[in-house]
Amino acid sequence: MAQYAILLYGKAPADASGLTPEEIEAHGRHGEDVERLGGSFVSAFALQPSTTAVSIRADGVTDGPFIDAKEVVAGGYVIEAPDLDTAIAIAKLNPAIQQGGGVEVRPCLG
Amino acid sequence: MALYAIMLFSPAPADPADASPEELAAHERAGAEVERLGASYVSAYALQPSTTATGVRGDVVTDGPFIDAKEVVAGFFVIDAPDFDTALAVAKANPATQYGGGVEVRPVLDGFPKPE
Repeated sequence: MAQYAILLYGKAPADASGLTPEEIEAHGRHGEDVERLGGSFVSAFALQPSTTAVSIRADGVTDGPFIDAKEVVAGGYVIEAPDLDTAIAIAKLNPAIQQGGGVEVRPCLG
Repeated sequence: MALYAIMLFSPAPADPADASPEELAAHERAGAEVERLGASYVSAYALQPSTTATGVRGDVVTDGPFIDAKEVVAGFFVIDAPDFDTALAVAKANPATQYGGGVEVRPVLDGFPKPE
């Protein structure tokens, strides 16, 4: 088994308080998808909206997300899965995809 | 104490194999800074380069990172810290800011594992 990070993106500012009860429930149910497809959760985090972000570059500190884009990171989780295909199959079931955002899957180095 | 996520960004493709021994050593040293500043690690991940990324948007699956930008996520960690200013101090100590990239700090709404 290997570890894969799944990053969730939502339309800026990705404010979770803007989610409907149905959307929140869909995220809760996604946990079952992970197990059903042969993966398991290692860690997970949901972030406060991107309006709370502070970014740091060599030339200074700024308010807001590091990358200025239509979509921002909303959270992420790390799963243990047998292979990348399984991790992608799990990621494709993430409700963020149906909520105007999307996901990115990356193998973890360590 | 509260949880804060610190996301590391590097110029694409953020390949750790390209990091110099000095840069890797600087990351090791930054790890020790976390404790010195009064925070502790909850989880930490370095990612494979963004050339290994798969993006999913609606029904479309694409190779490459979700957001097409000069810099990409290189890794992230979650810390338990007394306040945002401490999290910011930890983030500032991260060497990513000195190697062409940078970091983003955000309070965590909810997550696990929970700190001990």
